[in-house]
Amino acid sequence: MTDPGLTAALQALRQAARRSSVARRFDIDAEQALLQTIVDATVALFEAEASSIALFERDPDRLEFRVAAGAQGAGAIGLSVPPSRGIVGFVFSTGQPLALSDVLSDPRFDRATAERTGYVPRSIAAVPLVDQDQTVGVLQVLDKRTSPTFSLRDMELLAVFARQAAAAIRAARVQRDTHELFRTVLAQIGEGDASEADIEAVVSAATTGLDMDEETPFWQLVDRVAQLRNLSDRELRLVADILEVVAAHASRGRRSV
Amino acid sequence: MADPNLPAWSEPFTPDARERLVRAAVQRVVDREWAWGGATGAGVKVAIIDSGVEGSHPVVGGRLVSSVAVEIIDDEATIVPDEPIDMYGHATACAGIVVGLAPEVEIYSVRVLGADLRGKGAAFLAGLEWAVEQGVQAMNLSLSSKSERLFPYFHDIVDDAYFKHVSLVCAVNNVAGLSFPSTFASVFSVAAHAIPDPETFFYNPSPPVEWGAWGVDVPIGWKDGGTTVATGNSFAAPHICGLVARILSKHPGLTPFEVKTVLAAIASDPATTTG
Repeated sequence: MTDPGLTAALQALRQAARRSSVARRFDIDAEQALLQTIVDATVALFEAEASSIALFERDPDRLEFRVAAGAQGAGAIGLSVPPSRGIVGFVFSTGQPLALSDVLSDPRFDRATAERTGYVPRSIAAVPLVDQDQTVGVLQVLDKRTSPTFSLRDMELLAVFARQAAAAIRAARVQRDTHELFRTVLAQIGEGDASEADIEAVVSAATTGLDMDEETPFWQLVDRVAQLRNLSDRELRLVADILEVVAAHASRGRRSV
Repeated sequence: MADPNLPAWSEPFTPDARERLVRAAVQRVVDREWAWGGATGAGVKVAIIDSGVEGSHPVVGGRLVSSVAVEIIDDEATIVPDEPIDMYGHATACAGIVVGLAPEVEIYSVRVLGADLRGKGAAFLAGLEWAVEQGVQAMNLSLSSKSERLFPYFHDIVDDAYFKHVSLVCAVNNVAGLSFPSTFASVFSVAAHAIPDPETFFYNPSPPVEWGAWGVDVPIGWKDGGTTVATGNSFAAPHICGLVARILSKHPGLTPFEVKTVLAAIASDPATTTG
């Protein structure tokens, strides 16, 4: 750890990690909560047995169910299916929204996957989650209690929900990409000599410092700011004005408390 | 007034909105008897660019004559012979709807969906290009690309298809954002209506969707000889494709422009159609 290049890089990483950590406080929980809200709302609106969101992951290519809601939803969480299979795979691969009803009459309807969730639906509607120019996942809803099929209106409403989900996922991906960047940069510093474990050790060294900061007044302030998300624009402008005065004060030098 | 937050491409075809589709009488110069009376689709080659048609499925009626797949080999999209099986069921559903309307068409299956998603857009492009070269007269595309990088290539191929008199029938994608070729002007872009009749279809003069066809609770063939009931613009497009095949079998050599004109002339009357 005496290489000055590595020290400087770690310094830069520490700063980037700090920023990322701040951003995570604003976004990650909100993102997960928003995805959950979307499936909760989907279940309520459609009076459905279940709703879930599967996100695309690489190496190997797969669709992973991240959040679920509804009486029959829980079994889907954590499940992973190849994009070359089933309704969800098709919707992901083609970007085409789709609903199938009376799926039990289809002898091979990805029944294996359905059975792994502990619930085999009679009807299913699925829409792609589209972020800019790519599909990042699929929102699906199973079995409306009020109707054996899904209407056009249902499909269009689902597409609106899917747009919200895609926006939330985008925020999360930015976070993850930042962490990926750390790993890549560190790997380059090690010129390929550093093992996965070495990289992990350096990353955790950089982030342990952050964790120790958790309870400082600064992080408490960050948490407070994160809680301000629901304020009106006018109230936020007022807070921003106050913070601007404080920041100007801080830039004139650290004050002893 | 439609909710502006809804991607309401099917909205023009709902009962309340259809009065806006009424066209001047001059459009109605031909009737359905002239357009497709007695036509079976005979002599018309239709490509299904999709997940691979299941040749033995009853809904396909033995009309599958060719199966190829696009595989990405060394980063090159390559056309290879394919087994007549369907990865998902979707291509079979589309082929079944086309054959249902035009029982003597010849179906060319071009599978562009495969396990390797990295080359997805390129495979779609290559499949489309291959089908144009085969001299098919119509194609059903119930899928679309969002790759901005591929936009100009799709545009070139779609223009090429138009000038070679290939009618490209595309399901529109009810999801916000760039999506092509369904948004290109020369193609037959199709969204769904809910009237359970394969011959009820509407012409819509307002973009982005020109045609409305049955796409709600459509009985379809699915994989491994199965059947199901499906909703989606994916299933509206092959209804228009089947009707295009009928028209082309009775009037070979019509250009896509002429086929659209005939279709517009014989479209269901929005003022009197109920359902």
